[in-house]
Amino acid sequence: MSNVADQIASHSADAAVAQEEAAEGPKTKKKSPLVFKLSVVWLVFLVTVTVLGKIFGESLPLLVDPNERNADKIAAGPSWSNLMGNASFGQDILSQVVEGAWISLFVGLSVTFVGIIVGGAMGLVAGYYRGRTDSLVRLIINVTLSIPALLLVIFIVTIRGQELFWVIAALSLLAIPALARIVRASTLQVADREYVKAAEVLGVKKSVILFREVLPNVLPSMLSFAFLTTGIIIVVEGTLSFLGLSVKPPTITWGKIIAEGQIKIDETPHMVIMPSLVIFLTVLSLNFVGDQLLKRYDIREAGIG
Amino acid sequence: MILFIILFALLTLIVWIVKAAGWRFALKRFGGALLVLVIVTFGVSVLLRFASADEEVQAALEELDVSPNAQPCVTALGTGANKEAVDACVEDRGLDDGPVQQYLSWVNQIVFEQDLGYAFYKNQEPLSEVIQQRMPRTAWLFLYSQLLALFLAVPLGIWSAYQAGRAGRSKIPAWLLPLGIGALVLVGILGGWKLSSVVFLGIIVPAVVFHLFRGGRDADGATNFLAFALLSIPVFVLGVTLRYVFAIERDIFQLTGYKPWSEGAWEHLSSVWLPALVLGLAATPVYLRLLRADMIQNLQQDFVSVAKAKGMSNTHILLRHVLRPSTVTLITVLGLNIAQLVNGAIVVEFIFDFDGMGSYLLEAFARREFFAVQTVVALVAVLFIFTNTVIDVLYTAVDPRVKADDDR
Repeated sequence: MSNVADQIASHSADAAVAQEEAAEGPKTKKKSPLVFKLSVVWLVFLVTVTVLGKIFGESLPLLVDPNERNADKIAAGPSWSNLMGNASFGQDILSQVVEGAWISLFVGLSVTFVGIIVGGAMGLVAGYYRGRTDSLVRLIINVTLSIPALLLVIFIVTIRGQELFWVIAALSLLAIPALARIVRASTLQVADREYVKAAEVLGVKKSVILFREVLPNVLPSMLSFAFLTTGIIIVVEGTLSFLGLSVKPPTITWGKIIAEGQIKIDETPHMVIMPSLVIFLTVLSLNFVGDQLLKRYDIREAGIG
Repeated sequence: MILFIILFALLTLIVWIVKAAGWRFALKRFGGALLVLVIVTFGVSVLLRFASADEEVQAALEELDVSPNAQPCVTALGTGANKEAVDACVEDRGLDDGPVQQYLSWVNQIVFEQDLGYAFYKNQEPLSEVIQQRMPRTAWLFLYSQLLALFLAVPLGIWSAYQAGRAGRSKIPAWLLPLGIGALVLVGILGGWKLSSVVFLGIIVPAVVFHLFRGGRDADGATNFLAFALLSIPVFVLGVTLRYVFAIERDIFQLTGYKPWSEGAWEHLSSVWLPALVLGLAATPVYLRLLRADMIQNLQQDFVSVAKAKGMSNTHILLRHVLRPSTVTLITVLGLNIAQLVNGAIVVEFIFDFDGMGSYLLEAFARREFFAVQTVVALVAVLFIFTNTVIDVLYTAVDPRVKADDDR
């Protein structure tokens, strides 16, 4: 598994290229591609189902208690009443996946939120004020990024215990420096712009410039990186729970369903394939949406022409 | 002897770099790296003090009547340990000292006494022996995976960057996508997942290959789609699926564990190819996208137009003039990935029961052997920081323009 920062960097480089291509072509407002729309539809659908499943639970059609064992349907394949089939004790996999989506989405979104708030603030301040603050923030970024990602997370989670809070805290340690680095880079570019210089010459306070001029221009690319980060964090959380190191049982997570299905994979392949498919589609959608937004909003010299 | 040669090579490299990049710059960079190194190792050492005790360990602590500092020792030795063993362990690790004292004695032990310590289980097997035994396995696995990733990513990246600037040809209409997904779901429910996956592979793979060879903007699009799809598959999903397909459904890959070169090249390769494939496929999209982006940027440079005007062939321009300056980011990321190979291999070694460093770490984590883990994490971090700095300074030595770009 490659580094979080590397993956984000590959998106960033890609977006720069796409914008240069767009800048050379005729200036027409491009329609968003079909994949983008489909991704949004899938994400909205997933969030709706997860929230509805959390609120109404078993009263929804097709959903049952995810821990309920059904002796008639041990390791049964997909059918109309159990769309994703049954697990090794007859539990309904669809209900498990809906239940597990809650943890994945909750962890992914809260880590991204923390990352955007803390990392974003660090990057903005470092990129605009420069000087000592900048050196300090760069030191923090370098220190956190120099411990390999998965090792750091596992280390913290084993030391502090497998609680939801510590999983989120450990994953935030991955998101904060990666986002801070990116926000700092785009802040550096915005801070060089004429309108910022003009505001400085007019004697506007630095803190006001930061919020009124710099932040609004950095925000769009920050938000598109939020989508990419959420996708990566969902994968890392899945990896953790696959290794049995995320939130303790009986809480159901996607990684845990796959890990359980993997033990007897020749009997219950659908138990691995169905949650895998859901993770894949979710991460793919997040990547597509983030990438598309990045291509449209990332601030680059070349994109402004 | 081998260690000596490696050390000598490193020393030569450093001297050369320092000479080429300039004393002050190299000193600044290496000094910064040293600072990061100290902070990271100190942080890892301090983190141990925050280890939380579950109720069982808490009870054992009270029963043995030892200070709460002894908690990592009790966890590592097991709750049934006698007081003498725990006391000896606390004394040995210096747990009753302050954090700075403890850190200094740990560094002293590793750097000056060259003793990496040991883990408690497996008869207190010294960590240096574990590393000697298991590191080559992880290293071979990782080497093959990165070679494979480069083998896939470099040609595809060049091809896709080359085709990105060319005119598009007729496309497969976009509305086929939702229709296809719907049909697949229907096939999946009616005919089972096996049939639907065969249909899926039978349609998607030929479509991508067709677009690739056809050229034009669609070749670029197909490569990008492939890269995105690979990027979105978590490593553990890929590993579990391929293990099922190749090792459980069919006997193409034997789950017998690692075999060294001394047992023959064929045995060696056939014992690692599937894990290496998984790791390689996971690394491919990142390399591919980085290379493609850099290639496209370099293809817009003036020297390309000049070369074209001189009548050079496209192949010559691509491979001899554009490829080399485009590999900077790729090589950086590759170097950093290799430096943290233990981290990268954890999941794959877990899935394939591969006895490398990654699975050793997982075992140590499961037994809460914090001291062994602490040392390995610190070693990996040191390797990572060192590689990062060397690559950094190396670029300045090769290309002085990087120095001006110091901010990034």
